[in-house]
Amino acid sequence: MNRRNALRKTALMAGSAMAAPSLFTLLQSCKQQNRLEWEPLFFNEDQARFVSAFVDTILPRTDTPGALDVKTDIFLDLIVAKTYDAKAQQNMASEIDKFNAETKASFGKVFAELSEEDKKAVLKKAEADTAKYNPKVWGTAVGEQKPVGFYRSMKSMALWGYFSSEEIGKNHLNYDPIPGEYRGCIPLSEVGNTWSL
Amino acid sequence: MANFNIDAKKDMTYDAIVVGSGISGGWAAKELCEKGMKTLVLERGRLVEHVKDYPTMMDDPWDSELRGSLTPELKEKHKVGMRSGFIGMDTEHFHANDQENPYTEVKPFMWVRAHQMGGRSILWGKQCYRFSDLDFEANAKDGYGVDWPIRYNDLAPWYTHVEKYAGISGEAMGLPHLPDSHFLPAMELNCVEKHVKSRVEKEFEGRHMIIGRVAHLTEPLNGRGVCQYRNRCSRGCPYGAYFSSNAVTLPAANATGNLTIRPYSIVQSVIYDEQKGKATGVRIIDAETSEVVEYYAKIIFCNASTLSTTQILLNSTSDRFPIGLGNDSGELGHNLMDHTYRVGAMGIVDGFEDEYYKGRRPNGIYIPRYVNLDEKTKTDKFLRGFGYQGSGGRAGWGAGSNLDNFGGDFKDGLMKPGPWEFFITGFAECLPYHENHVYLDKNNLDKWGQPTLAIDCEFKENEKAMNRQIRIDARDMLERAGLKDIVDFDNEHEPGYGIHEMGTARMGRDPKTSVLNATNQVHSCKNVFVTDGACMTSSSCVNPSLTYMALTARAANHAVSELKKNNI
Repeated sequence: MNRRNALRKTALMAGSAMAAPSLFTLLQSCKQQNRLEWEPLFFNEDQARFVSAFVDTILPRTDTPGALDVKTDIFLDLIVAKTYDAKAQQNMASEIDKFNAETKASFGKVFAELSEEDKKAVLKKAEADTAKYNPKVWGTAVGEQKPVGFYRSMKSMALWGYFSSEEIGKNHLNYDPIPGEYRGCIPLSEVGNTWSL
Repeated sequence: MANFNIDAKKDMTYDAIVVGSGISGGWAAKELCEKGMKTLVLERGRLVEHVKDYPTMMDDPWDSELRGSLTPELKEKHKVGMRSGFIGMDTEHFHANDQENPYTEVKPFMWVRAHQMGGRSILWGKQCYRFSDLDFEANAKDGYGVDWPIRYNDLAPWYTHVEKYAGISGEAMGLPHLPDSHFLPAMELNCVEKHVKSRVEKEFEGRHMIIGRVAHLTEPLNGRGVCQYRNRCSRGCPYGAYFSSNAVTLPAANATGNLTIRPYSIVQSVIYDEQKGKATGVRIIDAETSEVVEYYAKIIFCNASTLSTTQILLNSTSDRFPIGLGNDSGELGHNLMDHTYRVGAMGIVDGFEDEYYKGRRPNGIYIPRYVNLDEKTKTDKFLRGFGYQGSGGRAGWGAGSNLDNFGGDFKDGLMKPGPWEFFITGFAECLPYHENHVYLDKNNLDKWGQPTLAIDCEFKENEKAMNRQIRIDARDMLERAGLKDIVDFDNEHEPGYGIHEMGTARMGRDPKTSVLNATNQVHSCKNVFVTDGACMTSSSCVNPSLTYMALTARAANHAVSELKKNNI
């Protein structure tokens, strides 16, 4: 931490616009050794770190916000805490622990501590290994749904948490709570992005 | 429309009592009140006033802490209704408490209930199709069940009567087996639906793909606003754009000054007077205080919903009717029907990448029945027929779960609409089988000490044969329409999933084999009328609510006319 403190001071003293991003990056990279910046309702710290790293790898920041920017990790913790029964919660916790144990066995580190490349490699493998969701009609899967496994259900939850957030729903997708009319054929170019609701 | 008169204390006697305030009860109340009858509507749940009691009607997903998900406690509370896939935090308050209202599934049967003013008229799918003589003559022709005591011409003017007030949008087709309603302008099909329609109609002679006929206003009507295409109907519509008792019939009844509505009133039984030879009122249990109260009237309309109405009649015993009011035939509780559900196909439509749509249309396409209409379309695989509902639309971000990637490009790609998907799902007619029945289970009492219902019902070979055909035809239509990645499916749902339960107090010509006559009067107790789904003699394959509305208005007209002639 000494070196970091020193750098921090330097950056602050430099006070230039150029210094700001590197300071930001630096503080971000410290985070993993620090306590979580939020208090999970359900997850323990390792599990919470996993969820944050997972949603960040699936939906990283680009020109548009990433999953962490819209607090997808915090939302998923809330969902597990408040909508899962004890058995489903236990299952979620042990799946995360198992995932971490596996990366530890292969890479010597839990998922959150892997390099970006290793994280991607791990998820890529999980992507290839897991079943997919059946299509849905009126909110219910058609046919008999095979278990999709931990990776895909987490991925699905990450998408839900991200795209149903107010920031994404209002400012990035096409938000139109009261369309007032139905037009069956319009040029996509008229609206650009997908409707948020 | 506020200020409902809920003071049922000052008066115990009315001209008419209506049990239930859902789709048919609301119509009974409106028609009876408008004909000058002092009417008491008994509702087992709470009041739900239009707009005022629609707490989630304007909510965006992020406005709800759990974005629509239910807590384990609420999942348990709605353990039956949850199976439908339709309950979220936005509509949970309009679904009954399944824990407090147990029933027994002798065979699996999902019984979805809505215990509040307006009942399931708040939550319904709003698809509206007239029955035709193909339906009214079906039992007589193939010998299943008994003959309907009415034909299409008996009901046609009453269809028009209710349609003019309810507001049904759709396209007139002139099909004899799917008679046109009195229509407001039709909603529009989107590009891909138009494309699939033209392909299917070209490939299959005699098949039509039309816009759904729905109880949504596409023009203002009686002060109600037009559909704003939010597709948040089941939360209650602030514009009153879709038909519900709360937005339409109960305010109209209330406006006459003749309506009293008493919430928290569980009707325990209909009171039969042996000397007078007719019903004199009903006995209720106050759901909150458990107090038993009797109300009296000259006529009684039972509109508690199919199975609840039958439960009340079975529980209404007397020396004259030891096994249930009007049950001389032994058919009360029998011949339960529903439509089969969630069997069909879906696929991807190539192209149209630059096309999109605006608005969330609470409606889809409909493929009217095309089998067993006449000699030419006759099949020997099964009796009767089926229709399809469906729709086309572009995949949204949810499709990302199945995509093989993740990361920044993946995320930004999901901001754009995905491929066009199209699905159709069939609804098959269910034959009336005597052995599909319900009965009172006196060993299982509810929290008010009342016997609960046991449901013993299943789809049989004819329905299964139709489901097989629905699936084959669905794939065939999508294939020949040029779709790709087609998946056909049959979720093999038990009855109840259609939420179109019908029968158990059927209409008929002969009191020996039916419960109700041609004007929905209990054969042997003519001042009791049943005009909800319980009265249905056969099930057609079309959505039944419009028919309940028409039958109710017709029966109410008859009731008042008979009352004036002192015939009842």
